[in-house]
Amino acid sequence: MSEPVRPGFIQRGGWLLLALPLWVFLYAVNHSASEWLAFHLLGLTPKSHLGEAVAFLFYDTPKVLLLLTLVVFIVTFIQTFVNPTRVRDALSKRRPGLGNALASLFGIVTPFCSCSAVPLFIGFLRAGVPLGVTFSFLVAAPMINEVALGMLFAMFGWKIAALYAGTGLAIAFTSGLILGQLKMERYLEGWVQDALKGPALGELEEETPTLSARIELAVQGVKEIVGKVWPYILAGIAVGAFIHGYVPESLMAGLLGKNHWYSVPLAVLIGVPLYSNAAGVMPIVEALLGKGAALGSTLAFMMAVIGLSLPETIILSKVMRPRLIATFVSVVALGILLVGYLFNAIL
Amino acid sequence: MLIEVFGPGCLKCQTMEKHAKEAVAQSGGEHQVVKVSDYAAMVARGVLSTPALALDGQLKFQGRVASADEILALLKG
Repeated sequence: MSEPVRPGFIQRGGWLLLALPLWVFLYAVNHSASEWLAFHLLGLTPKSHLGEAVAFLFYDTPKVLLLLTLVVFIVTFIQTFVNPTRVRDALSKRRPGLGNALASLFGIVTPFCSCSAVPLFIGFLRAGVPLGVTFSFLVAAPMINEVALGMLFAMFGWKIAALYAGTGLAIAFTSGLILGQLKMERYLEGWVQDALKGPALGELEEETPTLSARIELAVQGVKEIVGKVWPYILAGIAVGAFIHGYVPESLMAGLLGKNHWYSVPLAVLIGVPLYSNAAGVMPIVEALLGKGAALGSTLAFMMAVIGLSLPETIILSKVMRPRLIATFVSVVALGILLVGYLFNAIL
Repeated sequence: MLIEVFGPGCLKCQTMEKHAKEAVAQSGGEHQVVKVSDYAAMVARGVLSTPALALDGQLKFQGRVASADEILALLKG
């Protein structure tokens, strides 16, 4: 037996230092490259409908994919420091108010997939996290999507990212507080109420990963997420390119502008059935804002797509009776509407 | 040994099940892989986030897809 070989610098994550300049280079040349492709190689006319749509396509595809790779890497790395068990213990027996605030904040960073919603929901309740506090978490986790937050910051600056996080937190906090006051525990499905009475079981002892294990997990996260969402991104970019090239500004200002009472509910109605993910809506948001849609309407649209999705509601209907589901959806939808109106009014 | 994979049927959970089967094939031992998609059963086992994996009733991974190598290492103990 030879001695175990100590992994080299490159294997231990040193390649990241080499990957970063490459990333910066690709990002820097992307704009010129896309224009060259659209207007020289393909010979399209600048300012024409088709030319602008195609240039948007060539520009946005690499841009969104590059940003997504970086954002997912950073986010997954941060997430290796948080896990649902610790969050649950931190929220257990918290009083409403502080509990709701903490739950909303944890909702942003906790790794969460909507298929985990049910076991998490019950696990929280069983550990003594109040129903309202659990709801704050369940609203914040999908609505303030950590990848969306990073993408907004990278694409539109910190102000829009902060608006998104701030309003999402406010909705999660308030809706959890309201749902907690409504004392709706009896509207949980029967088997859930039984499960809550059952004894608490053995826990998984989670080891603290090493730095190179965290980097490895972050790389896995990038492969997994970018590998899974690229079709949504392409679809989003195609819609964005169409809006960018063909939809007149007057139409956009008329439908989603700030001067009409119906623009915000319209944005929410369009957003809810659209099942996309955080990264997939970004190009659409980009094109909408570029064409003069109001910020409030656009934020409402984005929150409806990401935070109020049909698949998640269907999953939650396994643990909640229709009345509780309906209350949950209405409170969140109302919150999104308020955010839309608020920002259309003040900006 | 008994390997239980917990998950309602999303892509991540299917991947975890696949990895568990690969690990069993590589180990060459007699192990059984069971997929548990019933929420009540998951909750009874203390699963908090999916996908999760238990070996002989003891939770080993949760909230992420473990690789076939990781599961294999577990089987070899």
